[in-house]
Amino acid sequence: MGEVHIGLPGPWAENCREKADHYTTKIGGLPDWPIPEPNIKRELLYCRVCDGRLCLVAQVYAPILSTKLNIEERAIYIFGCPNQDCGKNPDSWRAIRLQKGDQDSEPNLALSNTLPSEKESFPMDGASNWLKDTLLMNDSGKLNDGSVGDKKLDDLARAFSEASALSSCSKKQNRKKRNNSSTRARVGRTTAEETPVPVLPCFYIYFQTNQAHGSIDAVSSFYSSLTLKEDVYPATDTDEEEKWVGETYEYDKALGADTTYLKFKKQMDTYPEQCLRYSYGGIPLLATSNSIEPDKCIHCGSPLVYELQLFSPILYFLQQAANASVACSADGWSWITLIVYTCSRVCTSYLNS
Amino acid sequence: MAERGAGDRGGFGRGFGRGRGDRGRGDRGRGGRRGGRRDEEEKWVPVTKLGRLVKEGKITSLEQIYLHSLPVKEHQIVDTLLGGRLKDEVMKIMPVQKQTRAGQRTRFKAFVVVGDSDGHVGLGVKCAKEVATAIRGAIILAKLSVVPVRRGFWGNKIGKPHTVPCKVTGKCGSVTVRLVPAPRGAGIVAARVPKKVLQFAGIEDVYTSSRGSTKTLGNFVKATFDCLMKTYGFLTPDLWLETRFSKSPFQEYTDLLAKPTKTILIENTERIEA
Repeated sequence: MGEVHIGLPGPWAENCREKADHYTTKIGGLPDWPIPEPNIKRELLYCRVCDGRLCLVAQVYAPILSTKLNIEERAIYIFGCPNQDCGKNPDSWRAIRLQKGDQDSEPNLALSNTLPSEKESFPMDGASNWLKDTLLMNDSGKLNDGSVGDKKLDDLARAFSEASALSSCSKKQNRKKRNNSSTRARVGRTTAEETPVPVLPCFYIYFQTNQAHGSIDAVSSFYSSLTLKEDVYPATDTDEEEKWVGETYEYDKALGADTTYLKFKKQMDTYPEQCLRYSYGGIPLLATSNSIEPDKCIHCGSPLVYELQLFSPILYFLQQAANASVACSADGWSWITLIVYTCSRVCTSYLNS
Repeated sequence: MAERGAGDRGGFGRGFGRGRGDRGRGDRGRGGRRGGRRDEEEKWVPVTKLGRLVKEGKITSLEQIYLHSLPVKEHQIVDTLLGGRLKDEVMKIMPVQKQTRAGQRTRFKAFVVVGDSDGHVGLGVKCAKEVATAIRGAIILAKLSVVPVRRGFWGNKIGKPHTVPCKVTGKCGSVTVRLVPAPRGAGIVAARVPKKVLQFAGIEDVYTSSRGSTKTLGNFVKATFDCLMKTYGFLTPDLWLETRFSKSPFQEYTDLLAKPTKTILIENTERIEA
């Protein structure tokens, strides 16, 4: 298991439609595809429920650097539907993984010719392939190369209209996506900017490694409302009847929150602003105890491994920044965390020209 | 399974240092241009939707939350809504021990009661290895468990309610606590420990009767708290009128956010006991 990287919010983008490269990790804005946008299948970018255009929620640069596997050019894009009704439906979420394979079995000349000029930092050779994979997002979602993705939203705030307690909802979302497109027209044009796509307010993410767990207890000292003099203890009981007997260890419990959620909140409080948590092969931070185990990869059948998860401070920051000039806003969403799983074998399926 | 090796920091560092990524460690003034506030004290970043609504100021009183039975998952919600009126007190810190092969492991259990002496009270119990941690954790749990307390009259309905509206009983473990309405001036007739909880709730006069092993004061204080929770669960004749249901804050503000130009008539049918 690797160490955990916490993604904290950095500066806002000056213009939410400004371009970065695919090495940038950011929330909102336009996706920075390393390949020209017409290469990407249309149905990937459109909502399966309402067929509206999806907007980019998060773009994460996620290389895999280990002794066995070395994929430097790898990025994960998470899309959501800004439509008010679709936000509650797990089918409207989508995650796409793009990576560059080392072997160039199918040199795709069209791809190489159409590298957009703005991506000068793109180090690919002319004959390399970009592999596009749709990611399945589950609560334990896997990212696959390939067509089907499961996505499960750990959404504790789904029951808005009901006056009952919030319940977590986990639905599998299967998405079929075909990587191979033989009818892709290769035109040497830049990424499509002509049609106005919905765009969320954009800010960048910087990463910090999670500190040692010993400091978690010190976090509660951050709260200024919890000032308490250290030496104020209740008066010693002199009465014989007031001996507090029979007490044993008790797990944390509150009226509205159970133990799992309180542990989740304790982790969140170490970095209250954390938006992203990256830990390839690590353990997801769950907010409810009834989570669904991830299925296997649709394409290769290998087990899915946890890669990253998004947290609801993203929604808070996006809603704070929402104004009329932005095409869409995050108001319809109310999840606590979004967990993304990827294929452990990092299977790929090549784009055929 | 591919694992991240030692070079993974370099991976992020690259995204960090290339292109637009290198402004990652730039200014952290979030929302400065967009109207958000970033005072040093207000570092609360709400996690739940209810927290976001409270932070924006769309919800002004705890009663709106109680009316729709919404679970409170962040203690800052209670802090924001009740503010400085909320007082807390540590009732007891006691060591609890567990026998392990290497001897005994001692942890500290803290009982904290919070309340504003005007109808809201909460009780928190937390075990931790250090006393200070246990106290802070118990305060947070107590704030998460704040409940409304209904008060009524013993006889003539003159002035403000001062006692419990009816006889209620609460139970925890083997301890049962019964609260009986008392006339004005009777004071809280109870043992020292539950008396504190009743004072924090804002009850001025009450008779109590307890049964069971009240030596287990942890159960005693939890039974009293359970009793206070039940005061609003008791159907009395003045509640016979049919409720006119209002929109839950989530629904109300979802509609509001969806159509920002339309004014929403907010119907407030909460009954606040005098």
